[in-house]
Amino acid sequence: MISRIWAIALNTFREAVRSRVLYGILILVVGANLFAIVLGEMAVGEETRVARDVGLAGISLFGAITSIYLGVALLYTEIQRRTVHAIVSKPIERWEFVVGKYLGMVLTLSVLVVLFATAMVGLLALQGVPVTGAIAKAVVLAWFEVLTVAAIAVFFSSFSTPFLSGIFALGLFVLGRVTPDMQTAIASAEAPWMRTTLRGALQIVPDLHLYAISGRTLDGHHVSVHHDFVSWGYVGTAAAYGILWIAGLLILASLIFQRRDFV
Amino acid sequence: MSAVIQVEGLAKTYLTPFTRRRSEALRGVSFEVKRGEIFGFLGPNGAGKTTTIRCLMGLIKASSGTAKILGQPVPSRAARARVGFLPEQPYFYDYLTVAELLDLTGRLFGLDAATRRKRADELITKVGLDRARGQSLKKYSKGMLQRAGLAQALINDPDVLVFDEPSSGLDPIGRKEVRDLMLELHEAGKTVFFSSHILSDIETICDRVAIVIRGKLVEIGAPRELAGRTLLATDVTFRIDDPRGAAAEEIAARGDRVRRGDQELTVSLEADADVDEVLAFARARGAKTIAVAPRHDSLEDLFLRKAKEGG
Repeated sequence: MISRIWAIALNTFREAVRSRVLYGILILVVGANLFAIVLGEMAVGEETRVARDVGLAGISLFGAITSIYLGVALLYTEIQRRTVHAIVSKPIERWEFVVGKYLGMVLTLSVLVVLFATAMVGLLALQGVPVTGAIAKAVVLAWFEVLTVAAIAVFFSSFSTPFLSGIFALGLFVLGRVTPDMQTAIASAEAPWMRTTLRGALQIVPDLHLYAISGRTLDGHHVSVHHDFVSWGYVGTAAAYGILWIAGLLILASLIFQRRDFV
Repeated sequence: MSAVIQVEGLAKTYLTPFTRRRSEALRGVSFEVKRGEIFGFLGPNGAGKTTTIRCLMGLIKASSGTAKILGQPVPSRAARARVGFLPEQPYFYDYLTVAELLDLTGRLFGLDAATRRKRADELITKVGLDRARGQSLKKYSKGMLQRAGLAQALINDPDVLVFDEPSSGLDPIGRKEVRDLMLELHEAGKTVFFSSHILSDIETICDRVAIVIRGKLVEIGAPRELAGRTLLATDVTFRIDDPRGAAAEEIAARGDRVRRGDQELTVSLEADADVDEVLAFARARGAKTIAVAPRHDSLEDLFLRKAKEGG
Protein backbone atom coordinates (compact mmCIF):
# COMPACT_ATOMS: atom_id res chain seq x y z
CA MET A 1 0.00 0.00 0.00
CA ILE A 2 2.73 2.47 1.06
CA SER A 3 4.82 1.70 -2.04
CA ARG A 4 1.86 2.30 -4.37
CA ILE A 5 0.94 5.59 -2.67
CA TRP A 6 4.60 6.60 -2.78
CA ALA A 7 4.80 5.74 -6.51
CA ILE A 8 1.86 8.06 -7.25
CA ALA A 9 3.25 10.77 -4.96
CA LEU A 10 6.67 10.68 -6.62
CA ASN A 11 5.09 10.84 -10.05
CA THR A 12 2.94 13.82 -9.05
CA PHE A 13 6.01 15.57 -7.67
CA ARG A 14 7.87 14.82 -10.90
CA GLU A 15 5.02 16.32 -12.92
CA ALA A 16 5.10 19.51 -10.84
CA VAL A 17 8.89 19.80 -11.08
CA ARG A 18 8.68 19.50 -14.87
CA SER A 19 5.97 22.17 -15.03
CA ARG A 20 7.51 25.56 -15.82
CA VAL A 21 4.73 27.48 -14.09
CA LEU A 22 6.19 26.70 -10.68
CA TYR A 23 9.47 28.34 -11.59
CA GLY A 24 7.51 31.45 -12.52
CA ILE A 25 5.85 31.43 -9.09
CA LEU A 26 9.24 31.05 -7.43
CA ILE A 27 10.56 34.06 -9.30
CA LEU A 28 7.46 36.02 -8.22
CA VAL A 29 8.13 35.17 -4.57
CA VAL A 30 11.77 36.26 -4.77
CA GLY A 31 10.50 39.41 -6.47
CA ALA A 32 7.99 39.98 -3.66
CA ASN A 33 10.79 39.71 -1.07
CA LEU A 34 12.94 42.17 -3.00
CA PHE A 35 9.92 44.46 -3.20
CA ALA A 36 9.53 44.11 0.60
CA ILE A 37 13.11 45.30 1.08
CA VAL A 38 12.56 48.29 -1.19
CA LEU A 39 9.30 49.05 0.60
CA GLY A 40 11.10 48.74 3.95
CA GLU A 41 13.72 51.25 2.84
CA MET A 42 10.93 53.69 2.08
CA ALA A 43 9.28 53.17 5.48
CA VAL A 44 11.93 54.76 7.64
CA GLY A 45 12.37 52.94 10.95
CA GLU A 46 10.04 50.12 9.88
CA GLU A 47 12.41 48.29 7.48
CA THR A 48 12.49 45.12 9.56
CA ARG A 49 8.76 45.02 10.14
CA VAL A 50 7.87 45.55 6.48
CA ALA A 51 10.44 43.02 5.21
CA ARG A 52 9.14 40.32 7.59
CA ASP A 53 5.47 41.05 6.99
CA VAL A 54 5.70 41.10 3.22
CA GLY A 55 7.98 38.04 3.17
CA LEU A 56 5.59 35.99 5.34
CA ALA A 57 2.53 37.24 3.45
CA GLY A 58 4.29 36.21 0.23
CA ILE A 59 4.77 32.65 1.50
CA SER A 60 1.16 32.44 2.64
CA LEU A 61 -0.42 34.06 -0.43
CA PHE A 62 1.74 32.51 -3.15
CA GLY A 63 1.66 29.18 -1.32
CA ALA A 64 -2.15 29.26 -1.27
CA ILE A 65 -2.35 30.33 -4.92
CA THR A 66 0.05 27.55 -5.93
CA SER A 67 -1.86 24.96 -3.94
CA ILE A 68 -5.14 26.03 -5.57
CA TYR A 69 -3.52 26.10 -9.02
CA LEU A 70 -2.08 22.60 -8.60
CA GLY A 71 -4.94 21.14 -6.58
CA VAL A 72 -7.94 22.06 -8.73
CA ALA A 73 -6.52 20.20 -11.73
CA LEU A 74 -5.08 17.29 -9.76
CA LEU A 75 -7.85 14.72 -10.21
CA TYR A 76 -9.94 16.41 -12.88
CA THR A 77 -7.24 16.44 -15.56
CA GLU A 78 -6.40 12.81 -14.84
CA ILE A 79 -9.97 11.93 -15.81
CA GLN A 80 -10.17 14.38 -18.71
CA ARG A 81 -6.88 13.26 -20.24
CA ARG A 82 -7.69 9.62 -19.46
CA THR A 83 -4.29 9.12 -17.87
CA VAL A 84 -6.23 7.67 -14.95
CA HIS A 85 -7.24 4.67 -17.11
CA ALA A 86 -3.73 3.27 -17.22
CA ILE A 87 -3.30 3.77 -13.46
CA VAL A 88 -6.52 2.66 -11.76
CA SER A 89 -6.61 -0.44 -13.96
CA LYS A 90 -3.50 -1.55 -12.04
CA PRO A 91 -3.73 -3.18 -8.60
CA ILE A 92 -4.17 0.09 -6.74
CA GLU A 93 -7.19 1.23 -4.74
CA ARG A 94 -8.72 4.50 -5.82
CA TRP A 95 -8.26 6.06 -2.37
CA GLU A 96 -4.57 5.17 -2.58
CA PHE A 97 -4.44 7.11 -5.85
CA VAL A 98 -6.13 10.16 -4.27
CA VAL A 99 -3.85 10.09 -1.22
CA GLY A 100 -0.79 9.55 -3.44
CA LYS A 101 -1.71 12.51 -5.62
CA TYR A 102 -2.22 14.69 -2.54
CA LEU A 103 1.09 13.59 -0.99
CA GLY A 104 2.81 14.44 -4.26
CA MET A 105 1.35 17.91 -3.91
CA VAL A 106 2.49 18.05 -0.29
CA LEU A 107 6.04 17.26 -1.45
CA THR A 108 5.88 19.94 -4.12
CA LEU A 109 4.35 22.59 -1.86
CA SER A 110 6.76 21.76 0.97
CA VAL A 111 9.73 22.26 -1.35
CA LEU A 112 8.22 25.54 -2.52
CA VAL A 113 7.59 26.76 1.05
CA VAL A 114 11.19 25.87 1.97
CA LEU A 115 12.43 27.78 -1.09
CA PHE A 116 10.11 30.74 -0.33
CA ALA A 117 11.30 30.79 3.29
CA THR A 118 14.96 30.44 2.28
CA ALA A 119 14.59 33.35 -0.14
CA MET A 120 12.94 35.45 2.58
CA VAL A 121 15.48 34.56 5.28
CA GLY A 122 18.38 35.10 2.86
CA LEU A 123 17.16 38.53 1.88
CA LEU A 124 16.43 39.43 5.53
CA ALA A 125 19.95 38.32 6.47
CA LEU A 126 21.38 40.52 3.72
CA GLN A 127 19.49 43.39 5.30
CA GLY A 128 20.91 42.49 8.69
CA VAL A 129 17.45 41.62 10.05
CA PRO A 130 17.70 38.90 12.73
CA VAL A 131 15.87 35.64 12.03
CA THR A 132 13.92 34.74 15.15
CA GLY A 133 12.02 31.69 16.34
CA ALA A 134 8.82 33.64 15.69
CA ILE A 135 9.58 33.60 11.97
CA ALA A 136 10.12 29.83 12.06
CA LYS A 137 6.73 29.40 13.78
CA ALA A 138 5.04 31.73 11.29
CA VAL A 139 6.53 29.73 8.37
CA VAL A 140 5.33 26.42 9.87
CA LEU A 141 1.83 27.90 10.31
CA ALA A 142 1.85 29.18 6.72
CA TRP A 143 2.97 25.72 5.56
CA PHE A 144 -0.01 24.03 7.27
CA GLU A 145 -2.35 26.63 5.83
CA VAL A 146 -1.00 25.89 2.35
CA LEU A 147 -1.48 22.12 2.88
CA THR A 148 -5.05 22.65 4.11
CA VAL A 149 -5.90 24.84 1.12
CA ALA A 150 -4.39 22.15 -1.13
CA ALA A 151 -6.72 19.54 0.40
CA ILE A 152 -9.70 21.86 -0.21
CA ALA A 153 -8.68 22.19 -3.88
CA VAL A 154 -8.21 18.41 -4.24
CA PHE A 155 -11.64 17.81 -2.72
CA PHE A 156 -13.33 20.06 -5.29
CA SER A 157 -11.21 18.56 -8.06
CA SER A 158 -12.74 15.14 -7.36
CA PHE A 159 -16.08 16.24 -8.83
CA SER A 160 -15.78 19.64 -10.45
CA THR A 161 -13.97 21.43 -13.28
CA PRO A 162 -10.75 23.30 -12.51
CA PHE A 163 -12.49 26.65 -13.10
CA LEU A 164 -15.32 25.98 -10.64
CA SER A 165 -12.99 24.22 -8.21
CA GLY A 166 -10.74 27.27 -8.32
CA ILE A 167 -13.64 29.58 -7.49
CA PHE A 168 -14.86 27.31 -4.66
CA ALA A 169 -11.37 26.82 -3.21
CA LEU A 170 -10.54 30.52 -3.41
CA GLY A 171 -13.91 31.31 -1.80
CA LEU A 172 -13.23 28.94 1.09
CA PHE A 173 -9.70 30.32 1.46
CA VAL A 174 -11.03 33.88 1.76
CA LEU A 175 -13.87 32.85 4.12
CA GLY A 176 -11.45 30.76 6.18
CA ARG A 177 -9.27 33.82 6.65
CA VAL A 178 -12.12 36.02 7.92
CA THR A 179 -13.69 33.69 10.48
CA PRO A 180 -13.29 36.26 13.35
CA ASP A 181 -15.12 38.81 11.20
CA MET A 182 -17.85 36.24 10.55
CA GLN A 183 -18.20 35.72 14.31
CA THR A 184 -18.50 39.45 14.80
CA ALA A 185 -21.12 39.55 12.06
CA ILE A 186 -23.10 36.76 13.80
CA ALA A 187 -23.12 38.77 17.01
CA SER A 188 -24.27 41.92 15.29
CA ALA A 189 -26.67 40.43 12.73
CA GLU A 190 -30.29 41.25 13.41
CA ALA A 191 -31.98 38.86 11.01
CA PRO A 192 -32.15 35.30 12.42
CA TRP A 193 -31.66 33.77 8.95
CA MET A 194 -28.41 35.73 8.59
CA ARG A 195 -27.15 34.43 11.93
CA THR A 196 -28.12 30.87 10.97
CA THR A 197 -26.44 31.18 7.57
CA LEU A 198 -23.24 32.58 9.03
CA ARG A 199 -23.16 29.94 11.77
CA GLY A 200 -23.66 27.24 9.10
CA ALA A 201 -20.87 28.74 7.00
CA LEU A 202 -18.54 28.72 9.99
CA GLN A 203 -19.17 24.99 10.41
CA ILE A 204 -18.10 24.13 6.86
CA VAL A 205 -15.21 26.55 6.54
CA PRO A 206 -11.79 25.65 7.95
CA ASP A 207 -10.56 28.32 10.32
CA LEU A 208 -7.52 29.45 8.31
CA HIS A 209 -7.26 32.55 10.45
CA LEU A 210 -5.46 30.30 12.98
CA TYR A 211 -2.48 30.21 10.61
CA ALA A 212 -2.31 33.96 9.99
CA ILE A 213 -2.46 34.97 13.62
CA SER A 214 0.24 37.65 13.59
CA GLY A 215 -1.22 41.07 14.31
CA ARG A 216 -4.38 39.56 15.87
CA THR A 217 -5.57 39.09 19.41
CA LEU A 218 -5.31 35.64 20.96
CA ASP A 219 -6.84 34.99 24.41
CA GLY A 220 -6.86 38.73 25.06
CA HIS A 221 -3.18 39.19 24.08
CA HIS A 222 -1.89 40.87 20.97
CA VAL A 223 0.42 38.48 19.09
CA SER A 224 2.92 39.52 16.46
CA VAL A 225 5.98 37.99 14.79
CA HIS A 226 7.76 41.23 15.64
CA HIS A 227 7.29 41.04 19.42
CA ASP A 228 5.37 38.43 21.34
CA PHE A 229 4.33 35.55 19.09
CA VAL A 230 2.47 32.29 19.73
CA SER A 231 4.04 29.28 21.48
CA TRP A 232 5.08 26.02 19.77
CA GLY A 233 2.14 24.45 21.58
CA TYR A 234 -0.20 26.72 19.64
CA VAL A 235 1.60 25.79 16.39
CA GLY A 236 1.14 22.08 17.24
CA THR A 237 -2.57 22.54 17.95
CA ALA A 238 -3.08 24.50 14.72
CA ALA A 239 -1.19 21.79 12.81
CA ALA A 240 -3.38 19.06 14.34
CA TYR A 241 -6.48 21.06 13.39
CA GLY A 242 -5.17 21.28 9.81
CA ILE A 243 -4.39 17.57 9.69
CA LEU A 244 -7.94 16.75 10.79
CA TRP A 245 -9.37 18.95 8.03
CA ILE A 246 -6.98 17.44 5.48
CA ALA A 247 -7.93 13.89 6.52
CA GLY A 248 -11.65 14.71 6.32
CA LEU A 249 -11.36 16.35 2.92
CA LEU A 250 -9.29 13.47 1.52
CA ILE A 251 -11.79 10.91 2.82
CA LEU A 252 -14.61 12.80 1.09
CA ALA A 253 -12.57 13.18 -2.12
CA SER A 254 -11.77 9.44 -2.06
CA LEU A 255 -15.42 8.50 -1.54
CA ILE A 256 -16.46 10.67 -4.50
CA PHE A 257 -13.59 9.40 -6.66
CA GLN A 258 -14.48 5.80 -5.75
CA ARG A 259 -17.98 6.23 -7.18
CA ARG A 260 -16.92 7.81 -10.46
CA ASP A 261 -17.06 6.05 -13.81
CA PHE A 262 -14.05 6.67 -16.02
CA VAL A 263 -15.54 6.69 -19.50
CA MET B 1 -9.77 -25.62 -20.18
CA SER B 2 -10.88 -23.51 -17.22
CA ALA B 3 -12.41 -20.06 -17.61
CA VAL B 4 -10.04 -17.18 -16.98
CA ILE B 5 -12.57 -14.44 -17.62
CA GLN B 6 -16.22 -15.04 -16.70
CA VAL B 7 -18.83 -12.46 -17.56
CA GLU B 8 -22.43 -13.05 -16.55
CA GLY B 9 -25.31 -10.77 -17.49
CA LEU B 10 -23.19 -7.62 -17.55
CA ALA B 11 -25.26 -4.49 -18.12
CA LYS B 12 -24.44 -0.82 -18.05
CA THR B 13 -26.97 1.97 -18.25
CA TYR B 14 -25.96 5.62 -18.26
CA LEU B 15 -28.32 8.30 -17.01
CA THR B 16 -27.78 11.73 -18.47
CA PRO B 17 -27.66 14.40 -15.78
CA PHE B 18 -30.76 16.60 -15.38
CA THR B 19 -32.86 14.93 -18.13
CA ARG B 20 -32.26 11.46 -16.59
CA ARG B 21 -32.44 9.98 -20.07
CA ARG B 22 -31.34 6.33 -20.08
CA SER B 23 -28.74 5.06 -22.48
CA GLU B 24 -28.04 1.33 -22.46
CA ALA B 25 -24.42 0.67 -23.35
CA LEU B 26 -24.48 -3.01 -22.34
CA ARG B 27 -27.56 -5.23 -22.18
CA GLY B 28 -26.81 -8.45 -20.34
CA VAL B 29 -23.58 -9.66 -21.93
CA SER B 30 -22.39 -13.15 -20.91
CA PHE B 31 -19.33 -15.05 -22.09
CA GLU B 32 -16.28 -16.93 -20.88
CA VAL B 33 -12.68 -16.73 -22.01
CA LYS B 34 -10.80 -19.99 -21.52
CA ARG B 35 -7.24 -20.34 -20.29
CA GLY B 36 -4.64 -19.95 -23.01
CA GLU B 37 -6.92 -18.83 -25.82
CA ILE B 38 -6.88 -15.71 -27.94
CA PHE B 39 -10.38 -14.33 -27.70
CA GLY B 40 -11.53 -11.60 -30.03
CA PHE B 41 -14.28 -9.19 -29.10
CA LEU B 42 -15.74 -7.92 -32.32
CA GLY B 43 -18.26 -5.19 -32.88
CA PRO B 44 -18.90 -1.94 -34.70
CA ASN B 45 -18.15 1.41 -33.06
CA GLY B 46 -20.39 2.02 -30.07
CA ALA B 47 -21.35 -1.66 -29.74
CA GLY B 48 -20.18 -1.95 -26.13
CA LYS B 49 -16.73 -3.48 -26.52
CA THR B 50 -14.88 -0.76 -24.64
CA THR B 51 -17.63 -0.55 -22.00
CA THR B 52 -17.25 -4.29 -21.33
CA ILE B 53 -13.48 -3.96 -21.05
CA ARG B 54 -13.74 -0.91 -18.78
CA CYS B 55 -16.12 -2.85 -16.53
CA LEU B 56 -13.60 -5.71 -16.41
CA MET B 57 -10.77 -3.37 -15.51
CA GLY B 58 -12.76 -1.56 -12.82
CA LEU B 59 -12.87 1.76 -14.66
CA ILE B 60 -16.65 1.82 -14.72
CA LYS B 61 -19.17 0.04 -12.55
CA ALA B 62 -21.65 -2.31 -14.15
CA SER B 63 -25.31 -1.52 -13.48
CA SER B 64 -25.96 -5.24 -13.05
CA GLY B 65 -24.33 -8.58 -13.69
CA THR B 66 -21.04 -10.02 -12.48
CA ALA B 67 -17.58 -10.63 -13.83
CA LYS B 68 -14.56 -12.54 -12.59
CA ILE B 69 -10.94 -12.61 -13.68
CA LEU B 70 -8.96 -15.68 -12.59
CA GLY B 71 -11.74 -16.39 -10.10
CA GLN B 72 -11.46 -12.95 -8.47
CA PRO B 73 -14.52 -10.70 -8.50
CA VAL B 74 -14.45 -7.54 -10.61
CA PRO B 75 -13.76 -4.84 -9.60
CA SER B 76 -11.04 -5.79 -7.14
CA ARG B 77 -7.34 -5.22 -6.73
CA ALA B 78 -6.79 -8.99 -6.74
CA ALA B 79 -8.50 -9.29 -10.13
CA ARG B 80 -6.24 -6.63 -11.64
CA ALA B 81 -3.02 -7.99 -10.15
CA ARG B 82 -2.45 -10.67 -12.82
CA VAL B 83 -3.78 -8.70 -15.76
CA GLY B 84 -1.95 -6.59 -18.30
CA PHE B 85 -4.18 -3.90 -19.75
CA LEU B 86 -3.79 -1.70 -22.82
CA PRO B 87 -6.48 1.01 -22.89
CA GLU B 88 -8.05 2.22 -26.13
CA GLN B 89 -5.95 5.07 -27.58
CA PRO B 90 -3.69 5.04 -24.53
CA TYR B 91 -2.95 8.32 -22.79
CA PHE B 92 0.04 8.36 -20.50
CA TYR B 93 1.81 11.06 -18.53
CA ASP B 94 3.51 12.77 -21.43
CA TYR B 95 6.30 14.27 -19.32
CA LEU B 96 7.65 10.75 -18.64
CA THR B 97 10.05 8.74 -20.75
CA VAL B 98 9.04 5.17 -21.58
CA ALA B 99 11.49 3.86 -18.96
CA GLU B 100 9.91 6.12 -16.31
CA LEU B 101 6.43 4.98 -17.37
CA LEU B 102 7.45 1.35 -17.00
CA ASP B 103 9.08 2.09 -13.63
CA LEU B 104 5.87 3.73 -12.37
CA THR B 105 3.75 0.82 -13.63
CA GLY B 106 6.16 -1.71 -12.11
CA ARG B 107 5.93 0.06 -8.74
CA LEU B 108 2.12 -0.21 -8.84
CA PHE B 109 2.51 -3.97 -9.30
CA GLY B 110 4.91 -4.07 -6.34
CA LEU B 111 7.98 -5.11 -8.37
CA ASP B 112 11.38 -4.47 -6.77
CA ALA B 113 13.79 -2.00 -8.35
CA ALA B 114 16.04 -4.62 -10.00
CA THR B 115 13.09 -6.46 -11.56
CA ARG B 116 11.56 -3.20 -12.75
CA ARG B 117 14.80 -2.18 -14.46
CA LYS B 118 15.33 -5.61 -16.04
CA ARG B 119 11.74 -5.93 -17.28
CA ALA B 120 11.74 -2.35 -18.59
CA ASP B 121 14.95 -2.91 -20.59
CA GLU B 122 13.58 -6.15 -22.08
CA LEU B 123 10.21 -4.67 -22.97
CA ILE B 124 11.58 -1.46 -24.48
CA THR B 125 13.65 -3.62 -26.82
CA LYS B 126 10.75 -5.99 -27.47
CA VAL B 127 8.37 -3.23 -28.58
CA GLY B 128 11.08 -1.51 -30.61
CA LEU B 129 11.42 1.72 -28.62
CA ASP B 130 15.16 1.48 -27.90
CA ARG B 131 16.00 4.51 -29.99
CA ALA B 132 13.28 6.61 -28.36
CA ARG B 133 13.87 5.60 -24.75
CA GLY B 134 15.33 8.99 -23.77
CA GLN B 135 12.50 11.01 -25.28
CA SER B 136 9.47 12.13 -23.31
CA LEU B 137 6.19 10.52 -24.39
CA LYS B 138 4.87 13.87 -25.65
CA LYS B 139 7.26 13.50 -28.59
CA TYR B 140 5.96 10.02 -29.47
CA SER B 141 3.80 9.30 -32.51
CA LYS B 142 0.48 7.45 -32.09
CA GLY B 143 2.11 4.18 -33.08
CA MET B 144 4.97 4.68 -30.62
CA LEU B 145 2.49 5.42 -27.82
CA GLN B 146 0.69 2.19 -28.67
CA ARG B 147 4.01 0.34 -28.35
CA ALA B 148 4.69 2.04 -25.01
CA GLY B 149 1.18 0.97 -23.98
CA LEU B 150 1.92 -2.63 -24.88
CA ALA B 151 5.15 -2.51 -22.88
CA GLN B 152 3.40 -1.21 -19.74
CA ALA B 153 0.75 -3.91 -20.14
CA LEU B 154 3.47 -6.58 -19.99
CA ILE B 155 5.58 -5.19 -17.13
CA ASN B 156 4.11 -7.60 -14.53
CA ASP B 157 4.45 -10.68 -16.79
CA PRO B 158 0.66 -11.10 -16.59
CA ASP B 159 -1.32 -14.31 -17.06
CA VAL B 160 -4.15 -12.48 -18.77
CA LEU B 161 -3.87 -9.69 -21.30
CA VAL B 162 -6.73 -7.34 -22.04
CA PHE B 163 -6.15 -5.13 -25.06
CA ASP B 164 -8.70 -2.56 -26.17
CA GLU B 165 -8.27 -1.96 -29.93
CA PRO B 166 -4.55 -2.79 -29.91
CA SER B 167 -4.16 -2.15 -33.64
CA SER B 168 -5.88 1.22 -33.57
CA GLY B 169 -3.79 3.88 -35.26
CA LEU B 170 -1.09 1.49 -36.40
CA ASP B 171 0.25 1.13 -39.93
CA PRO B 172 0.20 -2.33 -41.58
CA ILE B 173 3.68 -3.14 -40.24
CA GLY B 174 2.67 -2.11 -36.73
CA ARG B 175 -0.52 -4.17 -36.98
CA LYS B 176 1.42 -7.24 -38.01
CA GLU B 177 3.83 -6.71 -35.11
CA VAL B 178 0.90 -6.53 -32.67
CA ARG B 179 -0.57 -9.72 -34.17
CA ASP B 180 2.80 -11.45 -33.86
CA LEU B 181 3.12 -10.26 -30.26
CA MET B 182 -0.31 -11.68 -29.41
CA LEU B 183 0.63 -15.00 -31.02
CA GLU B 184 3.91 -15.01 -29.11
CA LEU B 185 2.03 -14.42 -25.84
CA HIS B 186 -0.39 -17.19 -26.81
CA GLU B 187 2.58 -19.53 -27.40
CA ALA B 188 3.85 -18.64 -23.92
CA GLY B 189 0.53 -19.86 -22.48
CA LYS B 190 -1.00 -16.44 -21.82
CA THR B 191 -4.67 -15.70 -22.30
CA VAL B 192 -5.32 -12.79 -24.63
CA PHE B 193 -8.65 -10.98 -24.74
CA PHE B 194 -8.82 -8.12 -27.19
CA SER B 195 -11.40 -5.96 -28.87
CA SER B 196 -11.25 -4.92 -32.48
CA HIS B 197 -13.32 -4.02 -35.46
CA ILE B 198 -10.55 -5.13 -37.82
CA LEU B 199 -11.93 -8.43 -39.12
CA SER B 200 -8.71 -9.69 -40.64
CA ASP B 201 -6.94 -9.49 -37.25
CA ILE B 202 -9.73 -11.44 -35.58
CA GLU B 203 -10.01 -14.03 -38.34
CA THR B 204 -6.24 -14.61 -38.49
CA ILE B 205 -5.32 -15.16 -34.88
CA CYS B 206 -8.37 -15.78 -32.69
CA ASP B 207 -9.29 -19.16 -31.24
CA ARG B 208 -12.75 -17.83 -30.49
CA VAL B 209 -14.62 -14.68 -31.17
CA ALA B 210 -17.69 -12.95 -29.76
CA ILE B 211 -19.70 -10.46 -31.77
CA VAL B 212 -21.37 -7.69 -29.82
CA ILE B 213 -23.93 -5.43 -31.44
CA ARG B 214 -25.70 -2.56 -29.68
CA GLY B 215 -24.77 -3.82 -26.23
CA LYS B 216 -25.84 -7.44 -26.83
CA LEU B 217 -23.72 -10.46 -27.55
CA VAL B 218 -25.10 -11.96 -30.75
CA GLU B 219 -22.60 -14.66 -31.70
CA ILE B 220 -19.79 -16.58 -30.04
CA GLY B 221 -17.58 -19.36 -31.36
CA ALA B 222 -14.51 -20.22 -33.42
CA PRO B 223 -14.16 -17.91 -36.44
CA ARG B 224 -14.30 -20.86 -38.88
CA GLU B 225 -17.42 -22.28 -37.26
CA LEU B 226 -19.15 -18.92 -37.23
CA ALA B 227 -18.09 -18.07 -40.75
CA GLY B 228 -18.97 -21.35 -42.46
CA ARG B 229 -22.43 -21.91 -41.05
CA THR B 230 -24.57 -20.30 -43.71
CA LEU B 231 -24.59 -21.34 -47.37
CA LEU B 232 -24.81 -18.16 -49.39
CA ALA B 233 -24.77 -19.61 -52.92
CA THR B 234 -23.45 -22.46 -55.10
CA ASP B 235 -21.23 -21.57 -58.03
CA VAL B 236 -21.50 -24.10 -60.88
CA THR B 237 -19.09 -23.95 -63.82
CA PHE B 238 -19.98 -25.64 -67.12
CA ARG B 239 -18.01 -26.24 -70.30
CA ILE B 240 -20.17 -25.29 -73.23
CA ASP B 241 -19.32 -24.70 -76.92
CA ASP B 242 -21.00 -21.30 -77.16
CA PRO B 243 -21.28 -19.52 -73.80
CA ARG B 244 -23.42 -16.83 -75.43
CA GLY B 245 -25.70 -19.17 -77.38
CA ALA B 246 -29.37 -19.99 -76.76
CA ALA B 247 -28.59 -23.06 -74.60
CA ALA B 248 -26.19 -21.04 -72.41
CA GLU B 249 -28.83 -18.33 -72.00
CA GLU B 250 -31.36 -20.93 -70.81
CA ILE B 251 -28.89 -22.29 -68.24
CA ALA B 252 -27.86 -18.78 -67.13
CA ALA B 253 -31.50 -17.95 -66.47
CA ARG B 254 -31.53 -20.55 -63.66
CA GLY B 255 -28.97 -18.57 -61.63
CA ASP B 256 -28.77 -15.01 -60.36
CA ARG B 257 -25.20 -14.17 -61.41
CA VAL B 258 -23.37 -15.30 -64.54
CA ARG B 259 -19.76 -15.15 -65.64
CA ARG B 260 -18.75 -16.12 -69.17
CA GLY B 261 -15.28 -17.22 -70.31
CA ASP B 262 -13.77 -19.05 -73.23
CA GLN B 263 -16.17 -22.02 -73.63
CA GLU B 264 -17.01 -21.67 -69.94
CA LEU B 265 -20.10 -20.53 -68.15
CA THR B 266 -20.27 -20.00 -64.38
CA VAL B 267 -23.71 -19.67 -62.87
CA SER B 268 -24.27 -18.63 -59.28
CA LEU B 269 -27.27 -20.49 -57.85
CA GLU B 270 -29.23 -19.25 -54.86
CA ALA B 271 -28.66 -21.06 -51.54
CA ASP B 272 -32.00 -22.90 -51.74
CA ALA B 273 -31.73 -23.84 -55.44
CA ASP B 274 -32.01 -27.52 -56.49
CA VAL B 275 -28.44 -28.00 -57.75
CA ASP B 276 -29.05 -31.56 -59.07
CA GLU B 277 -31.98 -30.37 -61.14
CA VAL B 278 -29.93 -27.48 -62.60
CA LEU B 279 -27.06 -29.86 -63.42
CA ALA B 280 -29.49 -32.25 -65.24
CA PHE B 281 -31.05 -29.28 -67.04
CA ALA B 282 -27.63 -28.13 -68.27
CA ARG B 283 -26.53 -31.64 -69.26
CA ALA B 284 -29.65 -31.99 -71.39
CA ARG B 285 -28.50 -28.84 -73.27
CA GLY B 286 -25.05 -30.16 -74.03
CA ALA B 287 -23.18 -28.48 -71.13
CA LYS B 288 -20.58 -30.43 -69.18
CA THR B 289 -20.23 -29.76 -65.44
CA ILE B 290 -16.61 -29.01 -64.49
CA ALA B 291 -16.97 -27.52 -60.97
CA VAL B 292 -19.56 -27.19 -58.20
CA ALA B 293 -18.44 -24.85 -55.42
CA PRO B 294 -20.66 -24.06 -52.43
CA ARG B 295 -19.99 -20.51 -51.14
CA HIS B 296 -20.40 -20.03 -47.36
CA ASP B 297 -20.45 -16.73 -45.53
CA SER B 298 -17.18 -15.25 -44.28
CA LEU B 299 -16.77 -13.64 -40.85
CA GLU B 300 -17.19 -10.33 -42.61
CA ASP B 301 -20.53 -11.46 -44.14
CA LEU B 302 -21.72 -12.64 -40.74
CA PHE B 303 -20.56 -9.46 -39.03
CA LEU B 304 -22.23 -7.22 -41.60
CA ARG B 305 -25.44 -9.24 -41.49
CA LYS B 306 -25.57 -9.14 -37.68
CA ALA B 307 -24.75 -5.45 -37.64
CA LYS B 308 -27.57 -4.82 -40.12
CA GLU B 309 -30.03 -6.92 -38.10
CA GLY B 310 -28.95 -5.18 -34.89
CA GLY B 311 -29.06 -1.72 -36.43
